[in-house]
Amino acid sequence: MAGTGIFSYAPAIALFPLVAFVVALVFGKYMPKKGAIAGIFATAGSLVLSLAMLAAVAGGEVYHETIYEWTSGAVASEVGADGIEFTFGILIDPLSALMLVIVSLVAVLVHVFSLGYMNAEGETGLPRYYAELGLFTFSMLAFVFADNLLMAFMFFELVGLCSYLLIGFWFRTKSAPSAAKKAFLVTRFGDYFFLIGVVAIAATFGTVAFAGDDSFVTAAETAIDDGTQLFGFDAQTWVTITGLLVLGGVIGKSAQFPLHTWLPDAMEGPTTVSALIHAATMVAAGVYLVARMFGYYALSPTALAIIAFVGGFTALFAATMGVVKDDIKQVLAYSTISQYGYMMLGLGVGGYVAGVFHLMNHAFFKALLFLGAGAVIILMHHEQDMWKMGGLKDKAPVTYYTFLAGALALAGIIPFSGFWSKDEILYDALIVGLEEPVILAAYAMGLVAVFFTGFYTFRMVFLTFHGEPRSEAAEDPHPVGWAVKVPLITLGVLALVAGIANLAPVYKLTGIELTFLESWLDGEYGAVEGLTYSAYGELLAYEAGTIGTEQQTVLIAAGVSLLLAFSGAGVAWKLYNVPEPSRHVTKLGGAYTVLRSNYYQDEFQVWLAEGVTQPIARAADRFDRTVIDGTVNGVSSISLFGSNRVKRLQTGIVTNYAALLVAGFIGLLLVLGLYGGWF
Amino acid sequence: MTVALEYYVLLSIALFCIGLFGVLTRRNALMFLMSVELMLNAANINLIAFAFYHGNLTGQVFALFTMALAAAEVAVGLGIILVLYRNFRDVDVTVPTTMRW
Repeated sequence: MAGTGIFSYAPAIALFPLVAFVVALVFGKYMPKKGAIAGIFATAGSLVLSLAMLAAVAGGEVYHETIYEWTSGAVASEVGADGIEFTFGILIDPLSALMLVIVSLVAVLVHVFSLGYMNAEGETGLPRYYAELGLFTFSMLAFVFADNLLMAFMFFELVGLCSYLLIGFWFRTKSAPSAAKKAFLVTRFGDYFFLIGVVAIAATFGTVAFAGDDSFVTAAETAIDDGTQLFGFDAQTWVTITGLLVLGGVIGKSAQFPLHTWLPDAMEGPTTVSALIHAATMVAAGVYLVARMFGYYALSPTALAIIAFVGGFTALFAATMGVVKDDIKQVLAYSTISQYGYMMLGLGVGGYVAGVFHLMNHAFFKALLFLGAGAVIILMHHEQDMWKMGGLKDKAPVTYYTFLAGALALAGIIPFSGFWSKDEILYDALIVGLEEPVILAAYAMGLVAVFFTGFYTFRMVFLTFHGEPRSEAAEDPHPVGWAVKVPLITLGVLALVAGIANLAPVYKLTGIELTFLESWLDGEYGAVEGLTYSAYGELLAYEAGTIGTEQQTVLIAAGVSLLLAFSGAGVAWKLYNVPEPSRHVTKLGGAYTVLRSNYYQDEFQVWLAEGVTQPIARAADRFDRTVIDGTVNGVSSISLFGSNRVKRLQTGIVTNYAALLVAGFIGLLLVLGLYGGWF
Repeated sequence: MTVALEYYVLLSIALFCIGLFGVLTRRNALMFLMSVELMLNAANINLIAFAFYHGNLTGQVFALFTMALAAAEVAVGLGIILVLYRNFRDVDVTVPTTMRW
């Protein structure tokens, strides 16, 4: 696995955006376009190199190399490995090569789009904006090719920092800094568990590497096979515990219930940033991490079931909230939470390919939808309320058709990309669910969410583009330039065709080999040993059932989800595709208030902080001040009192000192004499 | 005809006790210093007497060192007394009691 050929340039993929960060930060003020050019060139360079990596991996090569070892220790770990090394390394295998391409592609398009969205608006602080975008892209790319858990954790944190900076880009407003802080704190809460998980894995297995013979995945497998006791648990329980700790970070970053509350607020950032965060960087990081260490989770059916259940629940939960939002970006925010729920569901039922497939498709169509929303916001002179839009269809056809492509993909309408991946996830969930009731519940929630997805997606499309214009801005939209249209068209095409990567239902029905992504992730072109779909499949403890034959199951699964998606879209069409749509909120009754308030999750968390944590903290503070401080102060006052008495010995008169000296000497002589036996 | 060792030791004890008494009772810094000298010389007598008794010169050499040291000590001591006088217009050792808590 030597760094030969094209792979010796692998570090440059991440370093290009880092250079762009420095350049934009230092020279951005003096550059035309305020640093955008540097960012575009850097991310385009990353994209070219990533594509080269993809080609090289397709040619059967993989790359796994330690770049820099920053410390090593000789402490024996729980399973008896001699020492541990902490390194920076690069792992390029099918999964990371694919993700590198996705991230750098979306980053390029976001940079280009920013020309139209940020520069054209004459924003201040543009060098800072482009510098932070560069740093963001750098962190995510480095996270993607990290070859060990600790390095991944570091860049995971850096991604969190960058999202904080970018969400709070308009820091002079009141809401943006607050949203940035919330995003930072909520994800940090999850990362806290992640950190403990990293330490636990390092202490248990003496390694944090993802791949190779000395990876923690292999070590965990061996420990389970040998029936080793780890920290007083049997090996499988311990793997579950550490896996769930790491999952804490995933839940925070990928905005899964209950740590999803930061994501809708994160809409305070520029729309381009939302596109980057939701499609390719921050939120994708969580799901990517699960895919990256899938072998580890595959060892623990409990952890997987929890992932699947949390995913299924989040998918439904977020989708229902998306139904009642008025802000176009809010709808997209809840759809993001929901879609990441699907990915977690897919991974949780062992559908590694399905999860990664949806991650890829979602990156394209969600970036498209956010950039499309950005274009709509430009058209609408920075109005985001969908009730003030309408009728944009004819005035901005490019935006409309690309947005529609994204919406069809999001809703999972055949033949757009989202259908194929979502269907595969639901199919995988169904066949496992037929044997496992918990998974079946998760599947059911995912299935119901399909209806809501179809509904809120088309509600958004109809309100934004159809009907009559409902405000002056909508009657006279601001034109958009090529910098807006090019990324939209690119992503629009991808949202339409990306599904071809893995037409699993077609393969199962007709036998035509159209499952490229599955072969790709299965290492048919080249992969690191043990990190392939089939290797994971051997570790999984799930059994799959079918309804009738496999073909019938495929048809039933696809048919049901498609039917639900169409009915959701149909209801939206009936209610909102009219010249003057009304809100229809009274029909929801009390449910409307609950949904509108996001199930009171924010209130609940504030209550947790103020009603539970704060009293406990107060009690602890009181204990500290009375008992602990009292003890410490008591000890010191005893000493103070004692020394106050003793210090009177010091008279300051030299004769007294001489007398004491003599007396002491005589005393010493007497003592020595008595014990020495002189007398 | 030699004097027995006991007498030298007795002389030394007497001299030392006189010195010690002076240190403990005198308030005049100069007397204080003289008393210290007496104690040092008591030690010197001991050193020389035992050197003679054992028939080697080490003790005598040591006594010479002590004298040299005593001279140096007196120089420092007189310097301190001078400063004392300058600051307090007095050479009474019980007057400067400020260097305590």
